[in-house]
Amino acid sequence: MTTDSLSSESWHRLADQRLALRPDVRVRRQFFRGELWYVLEDPLTNQFFRLAAPAYEFVARMDRGRTVQQAWEAAVRARPDTAPGQEEVVRLLAQLHQANLLLTEQPPDSVRLFQRARQRRQRQWQTRLLGIMFARIPLWDPDPFLQRLLPWIRWVFGPVGMVLWLGTVSGAIKVALDHAPELTRQTEGILAPQNWFLLYAGFALLKLVHEFGHALLCRHFGGRVHTMGLMLLIFTPVPYVDVTSAWSFRSRTQRLWVGAGGMWAELFVAACMTFVWAATAPGTLHSLAFNMMFLASVSTVLFNANPLMRFDGYYLLSDALDIPNLYGRANQMLAYWIERHAFGRKEAENPARSRREAVWLGLYAVCGHVYRVVIFAGILLFVGKRYLLLGALMAVVCLVGWVIVPMARAVMYLLASPRLERCRGRALGVAAGVLAGGFVLLGAIPFPHYFRAAGVVQAKDLTLIPAGIDGRIVELLTPPGRQVQPGQPLVRLDNPELELELQSARAEWEETVARERRALHEATADVRPLAARRQAVEQRIRELEEELAARVVVAPHAGQWVAPELDQAMGRWIPRGTVLGAVANLEAYRFEAVVSQREAAWLFQQQLKSPQVRLRGQAGEVLSVLRQTIIPAEHRRLPSAALGWQGGGPLAVAMDDPEGRRAMEPFFVVRADLASHPRIALLHGRSGQIRYRLASEPLLSQWLRRLHQLLQREYGW
Amino acid sequence: MVKASVIEFACWDPVRVSPVLRGADAQVDRWIGRWKRRPWVLRRFQAGVAAVLRWEEQFRHCAEAELRRRLRAACEQFRRPARVQDSTLYAALAAVCTAAERTLGLRPFPEQILGALALYHGFLAEMATGEGKTLTAGLAAVLFGWTRRPCHVVTVNDYLAERDAAWMKPLFDLCGVTVGCVLASMDPEARRAAYACDVTYTTSKEVVADFLRDRLQLAACLGNPVRVRLQELLQPHRRKRPVQRGLHTAIIDEADSVLIDEAVTPLIISGSTQAAADEVVFHQAWAVASSLRAGVDYQVNPRRREVELLPPGQTAWEEAWTVHSALWRSPARRSQLLQQALVAREFFHRDVHYVVQEGRVVLVDEFTGRLMPHRRWRAGLHQLIEAKEGLPITPLDQTLARLSFQRYFRLYRHLCGMTGTALEAATEFWHVYRLPVLIVPRHRPCIRIQYPDRVFADAPSKWSAVVDEIRYIHSTGRPLLIGTRSVAASEELARRLLQQGLSFQLLNAVRHREEAGIVARAGQRGQITIATNMAGRGTDIKLGPGVAALGGLHVIATERHESPRIDRQLFGRAGRQGDPGSARAFLSLEDELFRRFLPGYLRRWLAEAVRHQTPGAELAARVACKMAQQRAAREAQRQRLQVLRHDTWMEESLSFAPPERL
Repeated sequence: MTTDSLSSESWHRLADQRLALRPDVRVRRQFFRGELWYVLEDPLTNQFFRLAAPAYEFVARMDRGRTVQQAWEAAVRARPDTAPGQEEVVRLLAQLHQANLLLTEQPPDSVRLFQRARQRRQRQWQTRLLGIMFARIPLWDPDPFLQRLLPWIRWVFGPVGMVLWLGTVSGAIKVALDHAPELTRQTEGILAPQNWFLLYAGFALLKLVHEFGHALLCRHFGGRVHTMGLMLLIFTPVPYVDVTSAWSFRSRTQRLWVGAGGMWAELFVAACMTFVWAATAPGTLHSLAFNMMFLASVSTVLFNANPLMRFDGYYLLSDALDIPNLYGRANQMLAYWIERHAFGRKEAENPARSRREAVWLGLYAVCGHVYRVVIFAGILLFVGKRYLLLGALMAVVCLVGWVIVPMARAVMYLLASPRLERCRGRALGVAAGVLAGGFVLLGAIPFPHYFRAAGVVQAKDLTLIPAGIDGRIVELLTPPGRQVQPGQPLVRLDNPELELELQSARAEWEETVARERRALHEATADVRPLAARRQAVEQRIRELEEELAARVVVAPHAGQWVAPELDQAMGRWIPRGTVLGAVANLEAYRFEAVVSQREAAWLFQQQLKSPQVRLRGQAGEVLSVLRQTIIPAEHRRLPSAALGWQGGGPLAVAMDDPEGRRAMEPFFVVRADLASHPRIALLHGRSGQIRYRLASEPLLSQWLRRLHQLLQREYGW
Repeated sequence: MVKASVIEFACWDPVRVSPVLRGADAQVDRWIGRWKRRPWVLRRFQAGVAAVLRWEEQFRHCAEAELRRRLRAACEQFRRPARVQDSTLYAALAAVCTAAERTLGLRPFPEQILGALALYHGFLAEMATGEGKTLTAGLAAVLFGWTRRPCHVVTVNDYLAERDAAWMKPLFDLCGVTVGCVLASMDPEARRAAYACDVTYTTSKEVVADFLRDRLQLAACLGNPVRVRLQELLQPHRRKRPVQRGLHTAIIDEADSVLIDEAVTPLIISGSTQAAADEVVFHQAWAVASSLRAGVDYQVNPRRREVELLPPGQTAWEEAWTVHSALWRSPARRSQLLQQALVAREFFHRDVHYVVQEGRVVLVDEFTGRLMPHRRWRAGLHQLIEAKEGLPITPLDQTLARLSFQRYFRLYRHLCGMTGTALEAATEFWHVYRLPVLIVPRHRPCIRIQYPDRVFADAPSKWSAVVDEIRYIHSTGRPLLIGTRSVAASEELARRLLQQGLSFQLLNAVRHREEAGIVARAGQRGQITIATNMAGRGTDIKLGPGVAALGGLHVIATERHESPRIDRQLFGRAGRQGDPGSARAFLSLEDELFRRFLPGYLRRWLAEAVRHQTPGAELAARVACKMAQQRAAREAQRQRLQVLRHDTWMEESLSFAPPERL
C-alpha cells in the first residue's frame, strides 16, 4: 500500500496527546538561501534543530490547551497547501521527542528514559572510540570569564581594532618580505627533531589564542560559550572551544565573523611574532617567535582556511553558502544522484532545495572525496618511507576505514537497504556494471606500456687524449674546436728533465761502449756483463726517445679536437696520464642508456619495440634509433656523472666518489645509434631518456608489479 | 480449588517485550537459535516419551477413581510449575494420555506425546499434516491448564477453535481443567467467561483484538496494578472489566500461518469518525478513476500492488475536482486519493477480495477464505470500494489501537506451537518469537501421491482440464476435493460442473452455513466438494467405507497460492493418518501468482510455449511457478520486516504516547 502522507498508521498514538515545545526552547527565524527556517535551540544541551517553515507552522500551534489532532487541523485550515501530512507530523514529533524538545502530558516513561540515556552513553563511547583521533575532553566553562573580559576589550572588535589589526598585519608582511632569505633558510630546519618541543609550544599557544578569538567574538555577538577543553588531535593535546551557539545568530555576517575569529586572532599574533623575530638575535625567544609565525601562516592556510577539511574554513564556507551541514548534505547529494540517475530510484529525495544548491553540494562532495584520497595517500607514502611499521599500520587502518568498511557498507546497502527495494535489480546491475567496467578497464584492456631509461649522448668515436709524459704544456699546436686529421699534432709538452735524462743515458752508453772495447783486450771476463749493461742502457734510451716523441700529442683519428680547459692550462705542469682533451668524431653519435638491475629484466625478457630518445630540454622532439646493442654484463661506472645523483640523474652513486660516477647498484648499458635530426644538436654529454614501448599490458598488472618493486626496493620484500 | 485468586492473576504491567536484536547481536543470536534447534534434542524427548509410555502401561488398567485421584494430584503439583520435576511431568502426561484414551477413544501415538513434551518445553513442533495436532495440543493444554494460568490455544479460524474445544472437552473435564472458546460472534460477557477458563480456544484475530480492546478500556490506569485496584475500590460502578485475564501461555496451532503468513499486516482496532461530508470526494475520485486508462493515465505495478499516476491522469483529475474543503486543498493529498481509487479499481475485485452482502462490503480473508464482517480497509480504500459498488459511503475509520502479531505473541511468557511446515521459516521463528523448531518424526509414512502440476496457457483451457479430471476421477467413485482461491473461482467451477450435470457441494465464504456437514460428507464415495481455502487448515476429512480401497481422496488445486504452505495445507487433506490419497495442481499462466510475480515477457513467452506444447514448456512453467512463489515469499518477508521495524521505531521514537495505544 502506498505510504499515505494524509493519514498515518501511527496517528492514533498521538492524536489526542497534548504536546508542546518545552518552554525554555528558544526559537529564531533564519533565512538560508533566501528560505525561511526556524532554528530551535535547546539551552540545556546547546543543541540545535532546524525546522522548515511549514513544519514550524504546525509546531507553533501545539500547546497544552489542544491536542495534536486539533493543532494539526488548525494548521491544515490555516495553510491547506503546505501544512504537513499526518505521516510527516508523526516523524517530526518523533524527532523532536528524541531531541528531548517536547513537553508531554504523559508521565515520562522512566524505564524508557533510562534506556535512552544508556543508549546515548553507549553511542558517545562508540563515537569517542571511533574518533580517537579527535577525542575531546571538556574542561572549563569560560562564559563568566568571557563576560568579565569583554567590556575591557570590546573595542578590539570596533573600527579601532580593525585599523590596528590591518596595520600590524601589513607591517608584519613588509618585515617578512624584507627578511625573506633568512626566512627561507630557517624554514628548512623547522621539522628538525630538536625543534619539536618549541614547535609544539608555539602551536599550543597559538591555538589557545585562536580559540579565544572564536569565543570572544561569539560572546561579543551574544552567543554563549560554555565549553572549553582539550582535543586530542592525533594524540596531540590542542585547546578547543564550543561556539555552537553562533548557529542561532540571525545575521550571517556575525556567524561568518565568529568562524573567522580564530584565524583573525592567530594572524594578529603571527604579525606580532614577526616583529619579535626580526628584532631578536638567535635564541629561544627568536626560535619560538619564528615557530609561531610559521605555524600561524602555514596551518592557517593549509588547515584552518581549507574548506575541504572540517576546520574553520569549512564552517565559513558552509555559512557563506548558507548551507548548514554542508558535508553531510553534500554526501547525501552524491548519494541522491547515484540513486536517482544510476539506480533509477524514483522516490529518492533530493536533498538540495535549488539547482544552485545542488551544484554547490555536488561540487563540494566530489572535491572533498578527491582531496581526502590525495591527502591520505600522500601522508601514507611520506610516513611509510620513513617509518616502515607506522606506515604499515596506517596503511592497514586506512585500508579498513577507507576501503573495506565502505565497501562492506556499500554491499550491505545494495543487498539489503530497504531504500533500494524497488530498484534493487537495476542497482545491482549498475553496480556490477561499474565494477565490471572498472575491472575490464584496469584488468583486461591492455594499455601501452613504456619503459624508460636515462642516458647520455656520446660521440661514437671519442678518444680521450692523455698526456703521454709528465711535463709542462708549452704550445697548443692545434686550437681546440678544430677538425683534425689522424697524426696531426695537437699539443706540445715540454719536459727538460726528460731531455737531461736522455743526455745522461746517452753518456752512459758511450761510457759503457768504451769500457766494453777496453775489456775486449784487457779483461775478457767483463765483456759479457758490460754488453748486458749496454743493452739495458740502449733500451732505456729508446724508451726515453719515445717519451720525448710523445711531447707532441697527435690526433689518433679524424674528428673534432675538444679541449675546453686547455687554454687556461698553458704552462702548467701536468702529470702523465692527465686527460688533455678528446678527439671526437662528430659525424656519429650514440646514446648510452643505463638501466638499473631492477628493470634490467625488461631488456632481456621481451622484444623491445620502437625505441625513442628524447633529450633533456627538447623533450618534444623524438630521435629515432637506428641500431641498438645491449651489453649483457653489469657495469658499475656510469658513462657520465650526469646520470648519478650527484649530477642530478636518477641513479644512486657512492657518496665518497669525487667524480660521482661509481654507481651504488650495478647496472646494464644499452647503446643506441641515433639518427640525425634537423632540430636537435647532438652534443657529446647531453643527457636524455630512451623510451621503449613494451607489449601492452592491463593497468592493474602494471600497477601490481610496480607495487611489488616498490616493496622490494623499500622493504626488501 | 480457589478460583478467585486465579482470576486476579491478571498482569497488566506495561507492555514491554525484549527488543528484536540487530546487527552483530542478531548474528550471534542466530547461532544460538541454530544450537537450540539442534537435531539431537529429539533424543532427549524420545527418552521422555519412553518414560511416559512406561507410566501409561501402568495406568491403563487402573480404575476410573484411581485415575481421577492421580490426575488431581498432578494438578496440585502443576500449580507450582517451577517445581515440576521431569518424573512428575512424565507420570502426569501418562495419566492425561490414559484419560484421552478413555474419554476420546484415541490413544495418543508416541509422536503425539513427543509433540506435547516439545510444546511443554517451549518448542515449535513440526508435525506433518494429518498427524493429529489437535490431540497433541490438547495434551499440552491440560498440563498448562493445571497451572491455572491463562492458556490460549490459538488456531486459524473459528470453525477449528469451536470444533477443537468441543472435541477435547471430555478430556479437559476428566482432568479437572475448564475449557472455553472465543468466537468472532461472541459478546464481551461470553468472552470474559471463556477467557476465565483454564484453557481458551480462540483465533489469533480474536485474541489480539480482545487484548487491544482491554487495553483501551483500561487506558487510564494502565501500567500500574495498584491504580487498577484503586479505581475498582473508588468507583465500583464504573469498573471497566477486561475480558482477558492476562497472557501467560499460548499454544499456536498452525504456527506458520498465524506467526508468519498473517503477520504481514498488524491488527487495527478502529472507531468510526463523522466524516460523512467527504462522501462526494470519494464518489468523485471513483468516477475519475474509472474513466482513466491504464498505461496512459497511470501505471500499474502488480508486484507491489501499487499505482503510479502519470501526468495525463493528474490533469484529468485536477480538471474534475470541484470540492473546496480545506483538507483537500493540497494537491499531493488529492492525487493520493486518486491513487487509492485506482488501487481499488486495479487490485480489489468483487468476489475475490470482498463480497457484497446486505448492502455492505465484506472482506474475505485471503488465507482462510472466510468472511470477515468486522474488518474494513483503511485510508479511504473501503469508502472508495463502496463508491465503486455504488453503495452508501460509510464514515472514515479512525485507528484507536494497532498491534502487530509479531509484537503480541512476544508478550506471552510461554509460547509454543505446532505446524506442518516450520523448517523453512525456522530462522524467523527464532529471531522474532524465540521459538526453536523441533521436527517430530511421522507416525505413519504418508502415502499420498503428488502428481506433477499441469500448466495451461489460459484460464478457460485450465478450467476444462479441471472438469475433465473431475469427470474422470468421479467415474472411479473416489471422492474429490477441489480447492479454489476465490469465491468467484469457486462459483465459476460450480457453473461448469452444473453444465456437465455433475452434482457437488460448494463451500465458500458466502455459503459456509453447512460447513461441518459438508466436510463430514466430503470423504464419502462419489462426493465432489468445491471449497475455497476454507477447507485448508485442520479440516479432517474422514474417508467413507470402501473409499480407501479405491485410492482415497483426490485433491485438486485450481491455482497455486503465493505461499507454498497454503498449497500443502490443501494437499494435506488427502492421505491423512496413513490413508491413501492423491493430489494435483492445475495452473494457468493467467493466475494471479504468475501475473504478480513473473515478469510480463516471461509469462507471455511461457504461455506461447505451453500453447504450442513445446517440449519442456510445462517443466519450465513449473520452475517459473516455484520462482514466483519464492519472489512472493521474499515480498512477504519484506513486509513483515517492515512491520517489525515500524514497531521498533514506534517504541523508540514515540515513547511519549500512552501505552494502551501501542
